[in-house]
Amino acid sequence: MKKKTTEKKGHVVAWINKAEWDQVLEYLYSKDCALQKYALHRISAWKGRFAHNTPIAVESTADLVRCQILDRSGKLDADDLVLLYGTALMRFVNLITERQQGKIARPLRRLASNLKIPEWIVNLRHDITHRKLPTLKWCRKGCKFVLEWLQQEYWSRQLGSGLAENWESQSEGEDGEDELQRQEDELITRQKEIESYKKARELLISFEKEQFQTFEGFLEEDKQASLWPEPSADMSWILAQIKHFALESSEILIDALIEDGFMVPTIEQLVSLSVDNSDPTAPHLPRVVLRFWLPLLKDLNSQLFIHLLLEKLFVELQQLSEDNQKHRSFYIAGWISEVILCNSNKNEYHYESKIQRKARLKDKIFMKRIQLRWQQLLAACLNAPCMATPHLLQQILEDMEHPMPLDTRQKLLRLSSIYTQGADSGCDPPMEHSGQPSGIYTLESLHERLRVQSRRQVYMMHPGIVSDSRKALPERTEDFQEHLSPDVLAERAAELRGSPWQVCTDKVQWKNYPLGKVPGQSEDPSCLMVDNFSTIMVFDQQVEMENATQHNAHAGVSMPHRITTDGLLWTHNDISKLKAGLQLF
Amino acid sequence: MTSKRQQCNDKWFKSNRIAKNPDSSNLSPSTAMAKLEHRASNLRKDKPNLKRLKKGAKAVSFRPVKTPAATERTPSRPLTNGGAGGPEQGSDSDESQDWSSFAKSVLHQNGGGESMEGQESCVSTKAAPGRIEEEAFVHCAERDYIHNRTVLVMQQGQTLCFRGKCLLSCLYGRVEVHGFTLEEGQQSYPLFSPSSHCPLTVTALGDSPNPSKTKKAGRLEAKAIVRKYLSTETRRRLLSEVDSDSCVILLEPLDTPLTRFLNSFPDLKEVFGLSSRDIRESSAMLDTPLSGLGITPLRKTARGMVMSQTYREALNGLVNACAEELDGCPVILVCGAKNVGKSTFNRHLINTLLNHTASVEYLECDLGQTEFTPSGCLSLSTVREPLLGPPFTHQWAPEHMIFYGQSSCETDLDRYLESLKSLWRLYNRETPIVINTMGWVKGFGFQLLVDIIRLFSISHVVQLSSGDKVMCPQLTPEFLRSSHGWQTHPPVQSALGEDNSGTHPAQRSYTLFRIHSEFEGAGRPGEMRHQRSNEQRDLALLGYFSQLQSPEPGPVRPLHCFTPYQVPHSAVAVGVTHCEVAPTHVLYTANASLVGLCCLNEKVSGRGSPVLLSQTPVCPCVGFGVLRGVDMARGLYFLVTPVAPSILRQVNCLLLGAVTLPNTLLTGQTGILGDPPYVTMDYSFELTGAGKLHVFKGLVRPGQMKNAK
Repeated sequence: MKKKTTEKKGHVVAWINKAEWDQVLEYLYSKDCALQKYALHRISAWKGRFAHNTPIAVESTADLVRCQILDRSGKLDADDLVLLYGTALMRFVNLITERQQGKIARPLRRLASNLKIPEWIVNLRHDITHRKLPTLKWCRKGCKFVLEWLQQEYWSRQLGSGLAENWESQSEGEDGEDELQRQEDELITRQKEIESYKKARELLISFEKEQFQTFEGFLEEDKQASLWPEPSADMSWILAQIKHFALESSEILIDALIEDGFMVPTIEQLVSLSVDNSDPTAPHLPRVVLRFWLPLLKDLNSQLFIHLLLEKLFVELQQLSEDNQKHRSFYIAGWISEVILCNSNKNEYHYESKIQRKARLKDKIFMKRIQLRWQQLLAACLNAPCMATPHLLQQILEDMEHPMPLDTRQKLLRLSSIYTQGADSGCDPPMEHSGQPSGIYTLESLHERLRVQSRRQVYMMHPGIVSDSRKALPERTEDFQEHLSPDVLAERAAELRGSPWQVCTDKVQWKNYPLGKVPGQSEDPSCLMVDNFSTIMVFDQQVEMENATQHNAHAGVSMPHRITTDGLLWTHNDISKLKAGLQLF
Repeated sequence: MTSKRQQCNDKWFKSNRIAKNPDSSNLSPSTAMAKLEHRASNLRKDKPNLKRLKKGAKAVSFRPVKTPAATERTPSRPLTNGGAGGPEQGSDSDESQDWSSFAKSVLHQNGGGESMEGQESCVSTKAAPGRIEEEAFVHCAERDYIHNRTVLVMQQGQTLCFRGKCLLSCLYGRVEVHGFTLEEGQQSYPLFSPSSHCPLTVTALGDSPNPSKTKKAGRLEAKAIVRKYLSTETRRRLLSEVDSDSCVILLEPLDTPLTRFLNSFPDLKEVFGLSSRDIRESSAMLDTPLSGLGITPLRKTARGMVMSQTYREALNGLVNACAEELDGCPVILVCGAKNVGKSTFNRHLINTLLNHTASVEYLECDLGQTEFTPSGCLSLSTVREPLLGPPFTHQWAPEHMIFYGQSSCETDLDRYLESLKSLWRLYNRETPIVINTMGWVKGFGFQLLVDIIRLFSISHVVQLSSGDKVMCPQLTPEFLRSSHGWQTHPPVQSALGEDNSGTHPAQRSYTLFRIHSEFEGAGRPGEMRHQRSNEQRDLALLGYFSQLQSPEPGPVRPLHCFTPYQVPHSAVAVGVTHCEVAPTHVLYTANASLVGLCCLNEKVSGRGSPVLLSQTPVCPCVGFGVLRGVDMARGLYFLVTPVAPSILRQVNCLLLGAVTLPNTLLTGQTGILGDPPYVTMDYSFELTGAGKLHVFKGLVRPGQMKNAK
């Protein structure tokens, strides 16, 4: 079910608050014509605010109440009233059913019955539009009914009557068929995935078996030789199969690869590979583990595969960071680090010997630098905070094709190290700033620091008095309030002198008062009523402004209104306007 | 003339030196920015009456100039204002040469990104002209991380199409952005390319503005410039790319009160980001030396501005016309149905004209999509700065403005026309004027268009259309001779005869350019984020009120935090333009609403009580404000407005219209005590009748359905 995102922010409406709404509602449905009139006037102001967004229920109610008031005033004949009622009723039926209308016109009767509007109201509307006008009696009856309907369906339910759930539950059960179809499709794809996943596991297990065999044989033969034997024929076949599988569903293959027991070795596997567990802060993959998987990874190496692998590894890391599995996250981070290292273009190997270099290159999954999606990598890395994050982050930041500004990098690194430090601050952030004694990483520690300081100060000044340190804390609020400097105030005042305008100099924290509220304003909805007013009538003005006059003086004189059109100086409209103007005096 | 121009150029150079001074980069970027803004605004106000360019643009390559579609106009200029030409009239031939040679180049180079890429006639020296693609950035762009700016070397004909915002300065050579030519030594210009509009394209024009320089000298100069802006290790790659006909541009991040203010609204954070389409077609190049500056270059898959042949011809014709008639300025009217690209064409035209004249006048007749003001306003502006972004990025106070109060004129056609007439009377006829009209071109809307053409002695009509659907008849001079307007009517055909009788020379005739828009989505309203007209209206208002923010970077202040102005109820009249409101309840409409600040000649004094207008007059409007609150006890209105106090003092009338404050200004108020007024969490739109009046257009009757089948 769709959840509205606007709920939090609220809707802009024409009434100041619920009190104003309630007042209008009460007055609209009162028996007192004066009160009803008051409500109508207020609705006229609402329409001014709403502009084109006035709710049609409000508008229809106002129209019908207007008819009632005029009816009760006794100043109009029955025929006048029928016309008035007729228009109001017709508009109500048309407007209220408008939303029900689909692409194809449907009969009003049916639309109305959906809304619990009886047929006789619709017939009344038909009579008014294209048949014999109904009698006043019917009009009054219709008006009364519709007003009650509006009260029931709109006014009394609106503003926090909590009926929304009822309405939402209606939409259930409509799309049942689609739902079934979708479920079926899902099931099929799921089934397929499971099958290929099984296959991937089988392939990987056979690879592992083969590798273990070679590894054991190799251990027996010669411990010193750093060379792994050439892949056997069986191995080549397995690799070919895996490669073929990767073509179709590399995603599933990677999913299987990063499971425990594969690229993340189990304890038993580690023992048989004779690897001891190392410390988890710097994610450095044991060489044996790397070499174990190297034949496979070298085979699968492609830009797409590497991308996908990195992506999946990061996703995995993110999940792990939540469950805190140290062993697993160490290996995942190790692999990430390894892949990025392969891609590194750093030249820090200047002093190595040829043999060292050869050995180093041997352990690389791929040789050629590939274009990684650095932005995404960076985001993924930051999304998966763990012990190794600072390390990985630094690797990424250094390798980026277009590195970020140095200070940004430092800040990021620092932030990440602060974040990942956790309880044991074992790892040093790679870029340590001097002169930062103990880290202030959270608001609490900041408060703690301040508290200690203020206490110390108090203590120094008045030994023996220990005050409540909380009072000494400055209030942490962003100051949005505009503070005009005395100069600016004086300047503005000087420019406004002689005019009725002034800069408000009241000592008011305006930031506390929302638009539409001023200090001392009552909550009473009738607080803005104007008791006395005067009206002025003005005619169209010459648009030229004071400063504009001098600006355009020459133009104004030399350029009389140029009419090059059809010789007529004044159009009919102009003349009729002039006439109208003359009559006024 | 030449000496005057020379002097002016010196002025330019001086002011530019200040900006270009390497020392300025040592300042914190913020203050430098503030200064720059300040200077830019000063420039606008000071109105330097000078030509921008030393030389007109030269044609990139020769291409015969096509004659405009319909040349009706007699070469003799019937509209000259006597001998008022002055020095301009004696203007030397090289001036007009500039114009015409420029016209040629417009025809060609304005092909812009895409069409350029396909043209074989381009004189390209090194790199292939066209959009700079991902790999190319490695060679041609270098980022200075310390000052956070990027130097980009572009070869002639290369284009950079992007989303985002930045400050662009041309260090060497010349580049063109949306019709405006930026040349080395000129000030920096802010560019805005938000997701809601067609992305901006920077095109390298290549040829050095100073032909006397030898190739080698040019190359050395360009290299020297690159050296000045980049440190030793970073510039190496770039130096090999630079040649005498390359363009070197500097891109810097742009941070203005506008961008900060928009960024403070959660919904608008991505205004300068990628459009959903860019993402869908993955045309963004995310990892380039430009990322981090606030702009994202786009691949070829994202189309920049598409200019049809007719579009270029019209632009070319109009530039020619301005060259011909430097003394009797052309009056250009741009019309067409909704969403055919009027506004974009206007900006392009104005920018192109600004390459040659110090200013262009602009008369806004479209109430809905206003260029320089919030909507609901008619205005006359003097444009001195190029328009390198959509309307909400240049909410500049027009010279004259009239508050109409609604985003369409249909409720009061007479007041609409009267307002326009009184604006027209203020046009000084010394500069070319571009008149923008509304997209309502049917029925009465068309009649109004006819009126405007007749009343304002238009010399050039640009009529845009799209698709095959005929929205309105072609506005040929012959057609106009017999069509009825709302206020004007065709002359009575007297027996005495035709126009050439002597009393009415051929002055009523005008040149018609017909443009057929061919961009994707022409004639349809935009559907992406921030493209709908109400969103654009809100953005314009937010752009307007962003002027309240301090030019120095700092916290963005919500509107309610500003110290308001106050004025007694009896000193200003209040009027509601768009509906009838009961006078005693009028403050319920006015409170926390957008008001137009207007000036009446009549003295307003209400003996201590509010003054209400009985009807809406046509009167000058100087700006907008928010009626922040009403103090009933003391009889004061509180107003928040960016209008300067020296202008505010003249205001004695507050007009309310159907153009309302953006909802987000009311719903997003933070730090307030209690609930904000006029905002509710509990209004349910699920209830019948809770929504606004909604008109379904094109409802199909069941009978019609059968026919269709």
